[in-house]
Amino acid sequence: MSRYTLKSSQGLRILVSVVVGVMFLFPLYIAFVTSLDTKADVFTFPPHLLPAFDWEPYVHVWHMARWPMYFGNTLFITLTTIAIALTTSILAAYALSFLKFRYREAIFVIFLLVLMVPAEALLIPNYVILHLMGLLNTYWAQILIYGGSVFGIFLLRQFFLSLPQSYWDAARIDGAGHLRFLWSVALPMARPVLFTIGLYIFIGSWNSFQWPLIVTSSHHVQPIEVAVSRLMLAHSVDWRRLSAAGIMATMPLVILFFFVQKYLIRGIGRGEGTQG
Amino acid sequence: MALPITRPPRSAHAVTPPLKKRPMKDWVRAVFFLLPAALFVLTFVYVPAGMSLVLGFFHYHLLGINTTFAGLYNFHSALTFGVFWIAFRNTLYYAVLMIPTTIFGAVLIALLIHGSSRFYAIIRTAVLLPYITPVIATSIGWLWMFNPQYGMMNAVLGWFHIPPSQWLLSPSMAMPAVALYSLWHGLGFDVIIVLAALSNVPTTVLEAATIDGATHWRKFWRVTLPFISPTMFFLVIITTIATLQAFSQVYALSGGKGGPEYATTTLLLLIYQTAFQDFHFSYAAAMAILLVLMILGLTLFQRWLSTKWVFYQ
Repeated sequence: MSRYTLKSSQGLRILVSVVVGVMFLFPLYIAFVTSLDTKADVFTFPPHLLPAFDWEPYVHVWHMARWPMYFGNTLFITLTTIAIALTTSILAAYALSFLKFRYREAIFVIFLLVLMVPAEALLIPNYVILHLMGLLNTYWAQILIYGGSVFGIFLLRQFFLSLPQSYWDAARIDGAGHLRFLWSVALPMARPVLFTIGLYIFIGSWNSFQWPLIVTSSHHVQPIEVAVSRLMLAHSVDWRRLSAAGIMATMPLVILFFFVQKYLIRGIGRGEGTQG
Repeated sequence: MALPITRPPRSAHAVTPPLKKRPMKDWVRAVFFLLPAALFVLTFVYVPAGMSLVLGFFHYHLLGINTTFAGLYNFHSALTFGVFWIAFRNTLYYAVLMIPTTIFGAVLIALLIHGSSRFYAIIRTAVLLPYITPVIATSIGWLWMFNPQYGMMNAVLGWFHIPPSQWLLSPSMAMPAVALYSLWHGLGFDVIIVLAALSNVPTTVLEAATIDGATHWRKFWRVTLPFISPTMFFLVIITTIATLQAFSQVYALSGGKGGPEYATTTLLLLIYQTAFQDFHFSYAAAMAILLVLMILGLTLFQRWLSTKWVFYQ
């Protein structure tokens, strides 16, 4: 292969890559442009590609719904889900790796079998269960069903099993009990694993739509995605303000993404994240 | 690693408890450690999974009155309900649109941006970014792009002198438009998985092929592809499962209705409407069982097919 053809094929590859990258960014960009359009500007064809930087849609849409409340709801639901799911996973994973008891492996398999249960079969019965518990239309309806994370148990158990047994022996000689050992030794070392699990729960919970849509009817407990969907159904032609709402709901995740993408890419490459 | 433990060791007895007692104590402790997770999994996975098998065979109402045995009535009503079959066909159609495009797209893009340079890492970031964005919020930009009068999509068609489309307003184009959105949203995830698989293809084999004078195409076909075929099969399975459960994107792009003319009514959307808008719980539960059977059947079929083309090391 001559030097020239090598260069031109490299150039083509770079060009096609740029086109691919632009294709994936463009839908977010066009929403951004629309959200900053002036009223006269929106309806042009072909569409224009530079924003007019009119902030009116944001000001207006901010008063159309109680955004601080919806952001607060989403944040509360997300953080509480993470706290509960991490706590239950840590305890279970510890028992399944450091404690010795009969049927340990069998119990682990029973937890793993959860991954075989198709989620869509659980929608209706879980609604009935929450109805019987009197929890429909609360924060808890959106939190509790994610309280046990098999993915979390699996990853943490994997990590705990990699810790040498001698750590525990040393801690025990120093007079530590299991809880003390877990809190002061095992957990500080498990921080990266905890971070990974928390990250996936965060993204899943922040973006969850179907379940909150089903189990909530009151605005006071609804997350941001449901609020945006209601706005969408009610104001389907007000593109500037809808786009502004969409950008507002997307922004926190985009910002988070730039901080955590390294962990995400490594995790997905290992096959994590295919199960929430 | 220094232990931040200041308590002095207790008696020798505490350090090495009598051998007889220990298994029992660990067993009791294990119960306490496992109980929280087990309660959640039991209440919100195993109990409802059992209920889902039963609900479809009853006439059930939320108030709990008049729960009577229905036999196969709900299943029979579903299978003789025209819209159910439309939704069934739509769901399959959506899967047929999504599975090949996802696999092809993911492999092509991964091959394109495979490499360690900073430039390709930026492209990779761009491709993955949509995956973590909320579906409802980002579908707004797409609704606008699909707008027949002012949208970007028809402008792009215009560049190539293709007549404009009605996109989401057209019964024939609505589902492909939804698939386009879903590809945009989810493909980055699959690209990352293929990239990981590509980096595991042994370079020694590729070098050997080069020395033997193999062309790029032949190296891809004879070395790379067999090595990443298990990953591709994995992608086929998870894409199938995900597409048969399509809900949020359809809800967002059809205004919650599954239109026009039922063109985007997927099975899960129909189940949602039946259960949570019309409150026919057991009827919807019967449909859910039929959907699960459909997913199971399709995955088993693909597993059988895979024995013919997947290469395991």
